[in-house]
Amino acid sequence: MTLVATRPEPGDARPYTFPGIQRLSVAGGEVVAAHMPGQLLATATLLLDAGAAYETIGREGTAAVLAKSLEEGTATRDSTAYALALEGLGAELSASVDWEAFRTGVSVPVGLLPRAVALLAEATRTPRLDPADVERVRDDEATALRMDWAQPGPQADAALRVSLFEPGERYGRPLHGDPESMAAVTVEDVTAFHEAYLKRPGVLLVAGDLDKLDLRELGEAAFAGTSGAPLPAEGPLDVPVSPARRLILLDRPGSVQSTLRLGHRAPERGHPDYVPITLAATVLGGAFTSRLNHLIREVKGYTYGIRADFAMSRRFGRFGVSSSVQTAVTAPALTDTVGEITRTQQHGVTEEELTVARTWRAGSLSVDMQTPGSIAGALATLVIHGLPDDYYATLRRQLLEATAEQVSAAAAEHLHPEGLTIVVEGDAASIREELVAAKLGELL
Amino acid sequence: MTAQPAPVAETGYPWPIETARLDNGLRVVVSEDHTAPVVGVNLWYDVGSRHEPAGQTGFAHLFEHLMFEGSAHVAKTEHMRYVQGAGGNLNATTNPDRTNYFETLPAEHLELALWLEADRMGGLVPALTQETLDNQREVVKNERRQRYDNVPYGDAWLRLLPLLYPPGHPYHHATIGSMEDLNAASLETFQAFHAQYYAPNNAVLTVAGDVTPAEVFALAEKYFGAIEAVHDIPAAPHGHLSGPATAPASETVVGNVPAPRVYLSHRTHPFGTAGYDAMTVLATVLGSGRGSRLYQRLADGARIAQPDYIGSYGVDLAHAPAPLIVTATAKDGVDIETLTAGVAEVLDSMAAEPVTDAELDRAKALLTTSWWRQVSTVAGRADTLSRYATQFGDPGAAAYRLPQWLAVTAGDIADAARTLNPESRVTLTYLPEGDDK
Repeated sequence: MTLVATRPEPGDARPYTFPGIQRLSVAGGEVVAAHMPGQLLATATLLLDAGAAYETIGREGTAAVLAKSLEEGTATRDSTAYALALEGLGAELSASVDWEAFRTGVSVPVGLLPRAVALLAEATRTPRLDPADVERVRDDEATALRMDWAQPGPQADAALRVSLFEPGERYGRPLHGDPESMAAVTVEDVTAFHEAYLKRPGVLLVAGDLDKLDLRELGEAAFAGTSGAPLPAEGPLDVPVSPARRLILLDRPGSVQSTLRLGHRAPERGHPDYVPITLAATVLGGAFTSRLNHLIREVKGYTYGIRADFAMSRRFGRFGVSSSVQTAVTAPALTDTVGEITRTQQHGVTEEELTVARTWRAGSLSVDMQTPGSIAGALATLVIHGLPDDYYATLRRQLLEATAEQVSAAAAEHLHPEGLTIVVEGDAASIREELVAAKLGELL
Repeated sequence: MTAQPAPVAETGYPWPIETARLDNGLRVVVSEDHTAPVVGVNLWYDVGSRHEPAGQTGFAHLFEHLMFEGSAHVAKTEHMRYVQGAGGNLNATTNPDRTNYFETLPAEHLELALWLEADRMGGLVPALTQETLDNQREVVKNERRQRYDNVPYGDAWLRLLPLLYPPGHPYHHATIGSMEDLNAASLETFQAFHAQYYAPNNAVLTVAGDVTPAEVFALAEKYFGAIEAVHDIPAAPHGHLSGPATAPASETVVGNVPAPRVYLSHRTHPFGTAGYDAMTVLATVLGSGRGSRLYQRLADGARIAQPDYIGSYGVDLAHAPAPLIVTATAKDGVDIETLTAGVAEVLDSMAAEPVTDAELDRAKALLTTSWWRQVSTVAGRADTLSRYATQFGDPGAAAYRLPQWLAVTAGDIADAARTLNPESRVTLTYLPEGDDK
């Protein structure tokens, strides 16, 4: 038997294209659409400037309760009739909230999109918000959050987040609140949030075969009955970094693994170093062959996986590492992790590593963007960050052209191994002594 | 009001399919589509945890990990580096039925993917070392801790299988396997495992996307053509069961969970049969979406179940009657008896109360969207074609699934529901510590 011994060279690269974008102002709002000829499914997303950043401190979770309450009946039909109408099209309403946006969306066979968008708008613009329903949804959401917080992870995430922001800053609290803040949300919080933020037109994102869709019709349905001007945009925050490493130990008695979260503040999405920052994180902990995954999983066998990334939103960013490791190796896994972050910050990346990171990130722009849902997500990025229609082609070029010097410089500037907060959620009785002895940082 | 009719689907697979078979038995399936400059490459090996004898549970899955650790001409860790370095992504999964390996890449890197897949099909054994085995054994044990042992309710599937299938049945044990068996695994056993099952005549290679069939067939011959067929591959232990279970089975787990939860389960029909199609539509009527019976009656109506944790679904296994699983989690202050009785009543209603046209149309519309979503990527399409080629001998049979779902009648569902009687039911209950009386 003879296998081919040499790795084949790639064929001719296909030209990169992002679906053609059409923009249309209609009924006080804007439609941004991507043409995907031949696609059987189509996606529509209503993107509203109504992110969790607008929530009141202590009532985090208000927008999440609102998102869930939208389907509890509308001005014209009760919740059962609404569910049957929407699901009868094969659609389910996805409603989600992040720091900067509130999104409601539907995906259906393309011919059904106009009816699905009309129902999407009905729930988003004219929800019934009956007080008894909102209270029940709030209670269910608080219970669901308690369920979620019973798993390893959310408490560690929250402990890291609160350490990175000033007391009283909304961004220091969990995106969707915690079980207590969710339980404290009132009907008035929810109706006021809807009144203030969900009645402005916003932007309708459409991805699908536009030859079969009338964007004006979709926009008129999405923006009917809306009013109000766009809200003023606030600028990016500073990037404060702690002068010394801090260690937070959350007890999870009997846990067979330790959940690890390490992080510090970072620049916002619009920062000019976005591309080299992304590539540095890919080398450190993004790709499967990253430094962290190679050492902690492939060489040491401590974990099923470990990753590092920069999560960058409109006003701030954070560098973070997350993993779960078996309890017995908690301290050595952390020492190795901090070691790889330090090495990357001090000595940068190699050309060989960067070659993988560049082409992977650039290739992902084709590989990850095949469906109407993923293209609608890409359109949302353009709108939220004010990026031009040719952005993805430009991004691809920048990714491919970034040099090792640029990426190493970004790692040197934006990684702060000495300023990390290290959170460990695990069996404190088994690991406390060893963590203190490892001198990873001051135990808070 | 009347529900909207589901869109008419003549076929669930409107793209071309071409097939070939190499002399060594490798089946090659190509589905051409030039919409996006990407290609999905997918291999199904007809080996899963159902092939594992007693004392070797978890071997098929651990083997899947070893397939990423280098082969004759690919050094350790290079496999991932080459694929990601080409802009692609990749993964693999193991289940009771089979093991699949897949990658999506920019189309100009098709040849790289075929070279990598051929090298580990034909050249894994010489590269397999004790060090690699020891390391991946630890990774898999961490996977078990992270996904099953350290998560509330995480081991439900592991507990359901032995309740559903008798000892010795190929589905009796879970794919992740036991720590003890993994610890006992020797290098020689894995070398033999590869030699036995990772053969061209035990695999299907599918390529979907920005390619032509002629190009793929020629490249398949170039890279896989020299790999020798393996004769007399032993069949898995047979999965025959003489009808539904004849006695109910139940288990109660008291542990670190935040609320009482119940799973009701039945073994039904193998995936791919008319009976299982009816069960798929039944599961959607029963527990998928806010318009489902479980949601309407237990979350919205009686308000005893948490709305986010209701579900009913089939697990698509093809070599024995596949499970239907129905689950709900209690709201605060609701006891497990009330919850279990409520779920059972709704499940029993599928036989007692005929499914309405509106319920049926809703379920079919949701299944239609989910089918088109599954085949909306080249990776989803390639995996679907590999499945139908492996399990039914014809990738073109993929086109029938959606029309067959849409042809299910209320009468079919009533017939299916009558087999889900309490005498053959598995009940798995989780209670928070302190709730056990």
